[in-house]
Amino acid sequence: MSAEELTPSEAARWAARGGLLLPADRHAAIAATANHIHSVVAVLRELNLGDTPPAPAYRASQERRDATV
Amino acid sequence: MQPYELSLTEAADAIRARQLSPVELADSVLERIAQTEPHLHAYATVTAERTRRAAREGEHDIAAGRYRGPLHGIPMGVKDLIDVAGVATTAGSRVRADHRAQTDSTVAARLTRAGAVLLGKTHTHEFAYGLTTPQTRNAWDTGRVAGGSSGGSAVAVAAGMATFALGTDTGGSIRVPSALNGVVGLKPTYGLLPRHGVTSLSWSLDHVGPITRTVEDAALVLTALAGHDPRDPASLTAPAIDYRPPAAVDLKGLRIGVPRNYYFDHIAPEIEAAVRHAIDQLQALGARLVEVEIPMTRYVQATQWGLMVPEATAYHADTLRTVPELYEADVRILLEAGELMTAGDYLRAQRSRTLMRQEWARMLEDVDLIAAPTVPATAVRVGQETITWADGSVEGVSDAYVRLSAPANITGVPSLSLPVGHDTAGLPIGMQLLGRPLEESVLLRVGHAYEQTQPVRDLARAT
Repeated sequence: MSAEELTPSEAARWAARGGLLLPADRHAAIAATANHIHSVVAVLRELNLGDTPPAPAYRASQERRDATV
Repeated sequence: MQPYELSLTEAADAIRARQLSPVELADSVLERIAQTEPHLHAYATVTAERTRRAAREGEHDIAAGRYRGPLHGIPMGVKDLIDVAGVATTAGSRVRADHRAQTDSTVAARLTRAGAVLLGKTHTHEFAYGLTTPQTRNAWDTGRVAGGSSGGSAVAVAAGMATFALGTDTGGSIRVPSALNGVVGLKPTYGLLPRHGVTSLSWSLDHVGPITRTVEDAALVLTALAGHDPRDPASLTAPAIDYRPPAAVDLKGLRIGVPRNYYFDHIAPEIEAAVRHAIDQLQALGARLVEVEIPMTRYVQATQWGLMVPEATAYHADTLRTVPELYEADVRILLEAGELMTAGDYLRAQRSRTLMRQEWARMLEDVDLIAAPTVPATAVRVGQETITWADGSVEGVSDAYVRLSAPANITGVPSLSLPVGHDTAGLPIGMQLLGRPLEESVLLRVGHAYEQTQPVRDLARAT
């Protein structure tokens, strides 16, 4: 297990910190799934993101037109 | 030919010419549902009484000279993720067992305004978080998966149980089941169709779109549904246009990008052959083929997961804490594990998306569209969990089905999937056309031109 991977008890603690109490019999499976997701997403750390902003658009001026169907 | 066999365009022409009444069409499709639904299970709810009432109203209005356009009197299915007032939106989940939508989603309201007739709600993979739709069976082979998450919609259209349907697409959920069932699926530009009243899987990746028998049918539905709605913060203010493609099949002057990487990697040989053959057909119609390098492919899955996993978990945060046991096992564990992703990872995915959109825009300066396979494998057997490729590598079925669809969800570009043949097992093969944002008309023109060079497709008749 690499230093980045969560153990079952660590997965339970992290989830509890977020307000989600996990039953003990699910800790191992959730840790395994979370570690797999992490291994996929961690590839993004290779990117040189520089000053690149996140994608979501945000427009301060909200349109006030009525909805149309 | 029975009315249920008609495409939307054919049915609309017959209704407008008063050769077919909406009541005859609705009765024919409902009869087809009664025969076929026990084998295919495309519908979560069939609203037969409401269907017949709406069809009678349509008949009355048209007879009185109040014809509203090509969707008037056309029976259709709506994915059970999309609100229709008075009907449950179960999202395929026990979490929503007691649900009843109070108002129409924007797209449902626009369908009603256009005179379309609701047949019912079609099955979705639970909360659209999966690629198989286990409730439903493939329209060509009941031992195979329907694909998902809009599996019920695609199967209903393929089997003649709906003249058209609506689906949603977060990582391929319109295009994957469309390809696996031999129908047309359009994921429009992000924000072109409003999502107000549509249950979210992942706000920044979700799209609504049509599933139809022909490309021209998809254009008719898109024309009726496009348009701004401020209740969806991503909704675009693009001007309304008629998307119906021209009759001409001449593609002279059009540059079609053919990927040299990614889209033809780890793909069934019969799919590669069928898609390349279809691309040759486009060349024969006058298009110029240009090899293109797809950018940032190493980061597609990471970006898709980095966006979708935490957004889905956020949407379900309350019910995951109160009624977790009501979720199916596959969805529950993804939602729970999503709690453990950091904000840093999510933001990296959003920043990666910025780069990917820029790179795709640059690539689409050199070509007018890209032609590629929709999925790397045809419909797998029910229960099959992995695919083994020729080089011995093993890939999860869901990962494989999402792989070629996800770039269009991440970048927001439109993607049209259309059938381009069958493999030796008789299972449909799909090709997708990807274009510049808001250039659906280009994709529809090319897809329609291709279809006109091909024999009319039969309805699926599952064995």
